[in-house]
Amino acid sequence: MKDAVLETDLRLLSLQVESWKKLHNFISYALDKSKPLISVMQEGHFTETRSILLQESEHVFEELNIVEEAAGKTMNVLQRATSLRGVRELSAEEARRLEMDWNAVFTKLGVLQGKLKARRKELRSRSAISVSLRRLFARRAAVA
Amino acid sequence: MAEAESVIFPRAARRSWPPKNPGAGQDSCFLRGKTSCVLDIRLLILNPDPVFSDDTLTHFYAMEQVESRIVRTLSDAIYVLLRENVDLFVVEGETAVAIEQAINARQHFPSLEILCLTSESPNAVSTEQLDQQKIAFVGTDIPANQLRRRLRTILSAFERQTGASSEGIDPCHSLVGNLNQFSAAEVLQMSCLGQRSGRFTFKSRRGNSEIYLHHGMVRHAVFGTLEGEEAVAEIFRWRQGRFYFEEGIISQVQTVSRPWTHLLIDNLQKLDETVDSVGLSAHL
Repeated sequence: MKDAVLETDLRLLSLQVESWKKLHNFISYALDKSKPLISVMQEGHFTETRSILLQESEHVFEELNIVEEAAGKTMNVLQRATSLRGVRELSAEEARRLEMDWNAVFTKLGVLQGKLKARRKELRSRSAISVSLRRLFARRAAVA
Repeated sequence: MAEAESVIFPRAARRSWPPKNPGAGQDSCFLRGKTSCVLDIRLLILNPDPVFSDDTLTHFYAMEQVESRIVRTLSDAIYVLLRENVDLFVVEGETAVAIEQAINARQHFPSLEILCLTSESPNAVSTEQLDQQKIAFVGTDIPANQLRRRLRTILSAFERQTGASSEGIDPCHSLVGNLNQFSAAEVLQMSCLGQRSGRFTFKSRRGNSEIYLHHGMVRHAVFGTLEGEEAVAEIFRWRQGRFYFEEGIISQVQTVSRPWTHLLIDNLQKLDETVDSVGLSAHL
């Protein structure tokens, strides 16, 4: 069976991870000195990805209850990486910090995604009736 | 049953609906509440704002045996459609934008099943356009329960034929191969240069198609309801599947009259246009 809340959480998380990966691809490109050209189109795509993350991150983290762990580092990354050219001009130390913050958020999201997928797998092996009964008894135990 | 009839399908699509399984449809067990008869339907959903405008996404994700993938832009959608097989491409959004994107996708993928979910019911002109392009549509400005039932009705038509393709290596197959190693253009080019006569069968998850050659000329092509050059154009885009060639089978029907070289150039050009439209190099 499918749990609607779990499916929504996984969907939000997948979208967030995807945007987060896209951002990393852009940052890696910008930091790669062997690729000297940064086109207007690439800057446009980067801004679009950044805009999506700025809009959605807080909402997604609230839904997933990870605001405290992830929101601060996310904003660090998004504020430091203002444009591809800006990323290219970062000092080695700033670039290292940017990647560390990116990695901290990515790790958090990845671990949570794994947990939710495991939960989904467990749910799929159970019938709807057994899940409902389990919930019912859990609620009674809590009331008692 | 009234529910199933209220779903707005284009006239042309209604004739061929359901597309792959004539046994499924309004009387399917899905409508009677047994969702287990629907097997792994793969959806590609184009939704520019999937986090904040997720009403229909919630419905799709709650359905059993439905595998969904979300993209935010049409170029991302085309990128995925070029590489993966999907049963249904869902375009969701503001009415005008969604219709434009659905029609745009139709230009690149003539046989793709497309469902347009518009924020309000389209006007007569748009309805006619969608009808002509064989694009099904549903206005999402209806109560959630009703919308969920309509979406389930539509998906019930996409019960996929599971299992591997039934063909094995037969002595009469003079050439057998995989499309991910040799594209349709390559094998057809080779056969046409060799002045071959016979039938190519292409099998993929999108369905089966046939191209008949006669003395190195394409004589007839068929894929589902598509025939002639349209069918050839469709097969050109396939990157997954198997093919085999049977020497000496000649078609009595002739639906293609242009020389192979013209077909090849036109179709490769179209493919280039599709690839350009997604800015494929940006993804690679």
